[in-house]
Amino acid sequence: MSVASHDILPAKAAIKKSGLPWYIRDLYIYLLTFAGLTVIYVGLRSYQGEFGLLTGLDSSEPEFKTYWMRLLYIELGALALVFPALWGYLWFTRDRNLDAIAPKEEIRRYFTLTMWISIYTFAVYWAGSFFAEQDNSWHQASVRDSPFTASHIIEFYFNFPAYILLGGSAWIYARTRLPLFAKGFSLPLTLAVFGPFMLMIAVGFNEWGHTFWFREEFFGAPMHWSFAIGVWFGLGVSGILLQQVSRLIELLDQIEDAP
Amino acid sequence: MATKALEVPPQPYTGEKARLTRAYDYLILVLALFLFIGIFHLHMMLTVGDWDFWQDWKDRQWWPLVTPLMMITFPAAVQAVLWSNFRLPMGATLCISCLLIGAWIARYFSYHLWNYFPINEVMPATMLPSALVLDAVLMLTNSVTVTSIVGGMAFALLFYPSNWPIFGMFHVPVEYNGAQLTIADLFGFQYIRASMPEYLRIIERGALRTYGQYATPLSAFCSAFLCTLMYPLWWYMGKAFATTKYVKNI
Amino acid sequence: MTKTMMHLLGIFCLGLFGLTFAPNAVYAHGEKSLEPFIRMRTIQWYDVRWSQDKPRVNDELVITGKFHVAEDWPRAVPKPDASYLNVSSPGPVFVRTERYVNGQATAGSAALKLGGDYDFKIVLKARLPGRYHIHPFFNLHDAGAVMGPGHWIEVTGVPAAFTNPVKTLNGDVIDMETYGLANGIGWHAFWFALAAAWLLWWVRRPLFIPRNKMLQSGQGDALVTPLDRAIAAGILVVVPLVVFGAQAMTDSQYLNTIPLQTALDQIEPLAPVVNTGLVQVKVQRAEYDVPSRSMTIVTQIRNSSDQPVQIREFASGNVRFINLASHQANQDANQGIDDDTLVAPQGLSIDSPAPIKAGESRIVRLTGTDALWATQRLDGLIRDTDSRLGGLLFLIDATSNRYIASISSAVIPKFD
Repeated sequence: MSVASHDILPAKAAIKKSGLPWYIRDLYIYLLTFAGLTVIYVGLRSYQGEFGLLTGLDSSEPEFKTYWMRLLYIELGALALVFPALWGYLWFTRDRNLDAIAPKEEIRRYFTLTMWISIYTFAVYWAGSFFAEQDNSWHQASVRDSPFTASHIIEFYFNFPAYILLGGSAWIYARTRLPLFAKGFSLPLTLAVFGPFMLMIAVGFNEWGHTFWFREEFFGAPMHWSFAIGVWFGLGVSGILLQQVSRLIELLDQIEDAP
Repeated sequence: MATKALEVPPQPYTGEKARLTRAYDYLILVLALFLFIGIFHLHMMLTVGDWDFWQDWKDRQWWPLVTPLMMITFPAAVQAVLWSNFRLPMGATLCISCLLIGAWIARYFSYHLWNYFPINEVMPATMLPSALVLDAVLMLTNSVTVTSIVGGMAFALLFYPSNWPIFGMFHVPVEYNGAQLTIADLFGFQYIRASMPEYLRIIERGALRTYGQYATPLSAFCSAFLCTLMYPLWWYMGKAFATTKYVKNI
Repeated sequence: MTKTMMHLLGIFCLGLFGLTFAPNAVYAHGEKSLEPFIRMRTIQWYDVRWSQDKPRVNDELVITGKFHVAEDWPRAVPKPDASYLNVSSPGPVFVRTERYVNGQATAGSAALKLGGDYDFKIVLKARLPGRYHIHPFFNLHDAGAVMGPGHWIEVTGVPAAFTNPVKTLNGDVIDMETYGLANGIGWHAFWFALAAAWLLWWVRRPLFIPRNKMLQSGQGDALVTPLDRAIAAGILVVVPLVVFGAQAMTDSQYLNTIPLQTALDQIEPLAPVVNTGLVQVKVQRAEYDVPSRSMTIVTQIRNSSDQPVQIREFASGNVRFINLASHQANQDANQGIDDDTLVAPQGLSIDSPAPIKAGESRIVRLTGTDALWATQRLDGLIRDTDSRLGGLLFLIDATSNRYIASISSAVIPKFD
């Protein structure tokens, strides 16, 4: 199936129904995604609160397999289902006639791309801030005995892939729906998505180090710095901002103002 | 008169275009809030984390040296974008505020609610006074060089005195089993931590006495010197990441 | 409120994962992940006791015990120049109020000596109600957590009843649970308020697209007003004044503050308790039969004491094989055995069980057979880089005097 720009312009009736201005047509979906992700993250944290100390202290116990390894498989299964479907949708509904895009529609898509990146940074918050620092507190209550601890099962094997895949979604959205991003690869967007992806790779180094070399939980240890370097690339978002702002200024000059 | 003082400078858009650009502002602000909490907090916890997590790591030698040095990084990079392209002198305050929001949430929900540590044992340090001064220096001077030297030094030198009113009282001595300890040391001894044994602490070992008892000022000045170098380094890193290039291949 | 909501969400997740709400609490703490040769040949625990099982909040729980630092210390593990006697519990559900090694009070890290004998005492104070499995353990620098035996403790009472008063050197009594918290929150709130005011001062005006457009068109100077500059100048004056003023006030309020304390305790070992030379044990060969989970150790025992001795127990990595005949004959020495979950029920099989007479030297074949070798993951030894066994062999004479030998040997596996 292919879709052209004029096919996916917002229907006037739909806009009236939603009551939203044309440029933030996707606001409700954006807010709903925020709410959905919040429920997932708070749910996972609540699950840790209920069962972490009860069944998550030792990976060799049968209860650990029931309560934590099963959660790992559910997480990986959910990610394996949701993201191919999402990426497939974004790809197959791509705009195949970007040259004909109207300025207003392009502005609208820039707003939607910003929402995509915002969702990405929301997932980065949970992975990079909340669950990351929580990992240190967990390892003060338990002795690390597996790459799959009650903390890592959520942080490394759900949060990391989730934000990486959401970043990838933003990248695909831009690539398939915005002319400038389709003609060339946006360097800052690519840096902002692929840099933090390296955190997933750094997990291997981290687990190797903790297993063979560094048994304690000194968080500022050089062994952890590869994670820090990965997130520096998140600063690429400022380049995306500048790309967007300069293009939006051009586009705003092309449309009529309304009261 | 007061109303006039609060008036904002004129802007190039009116009507729907003004509303549209304002909606864009809000989207970016929400995006930036979570981005900076996420990435700056991770950077902080993996470089200065332990000094910030625990009372018994907040020493006179390493804490005031390492913390400003690692904390001036993102503020410099974000100032490079917000000031150069938007004349917004709030990059440092924004970054440090985001960092502290993330740190406080983690200390309460993770350390306290999940793993039972008292919050006073894991209170974060503040760098907001330093950040406000850094923003103000950049705005008033519009100079990377002056901000590196004056702002960078102020950023580091203000750190310890800003935090002493919060943490000084934890350095009151107690006699414990025949030895003198600070209350901060006592937290580390009493509140059981599985993977943070005392020997891991990187703290002053009492070898910074060449010039008498000036351990803290020496560390602060060393940090100030390093911050004057770190600031421009990260300013240009911020600029580099803020590239607007589109490339043919990746 | 927050806790209740998170509790409900946690239970909701259970339904999603198809789990029940009341799982059995597990007792292990990850100790089995550590390589067996480290658990067997570093800190060798024995005689660990707990003063009570059911303290109320604020009650004391005293853990006492002994350990021998193995002579045959593994090459893979740094020497114990820095170690920390710790307690394994799910977070600070107890606070540690006192700790002694060889009678010496210690609050910091300690250096241990290879071959040394030590006793310890840890005084805990119950903080949070619940049922917890509590172990003493050693953090060994870069080696990991070497656990001692564990015991279930049930703390009763209410959390709010817990207090932790400490007297400072200037005579004030403080509660560690709340000390400095309100002051810290107050200062953070103050600086947050100033920062929020500064951010709002800028955020209230049109931001990214309009400001960039004006800057590009050469109108950048209009973006910062004289009032903005005045406020920034005010920040440069007021913020340092507040900072240094508050610092001076803190200094005058707390006149006698000291830096963090960093002593590394040097603790001399006790007079030898293990390997005293009165009863000498040498291992000639050790074999582990994988299918039957059975370790056979051929030892040469020389009794240089003036009493006949018999073998009572072999302990390795906290798993204990008791000579059942000796067990029945010495009920008074059995404290701590009957409720220890790591005692092998089949006991220790000995090919020549008769007491070894004074002056006699005898070859004795010991066999410990139990699934604990596998469930405690000690059998991983045979696939490790350092496949040497270590443990304590206890012998006893007719007057209940104990002779303890720390033994070690390479292990030959029998796979089928």
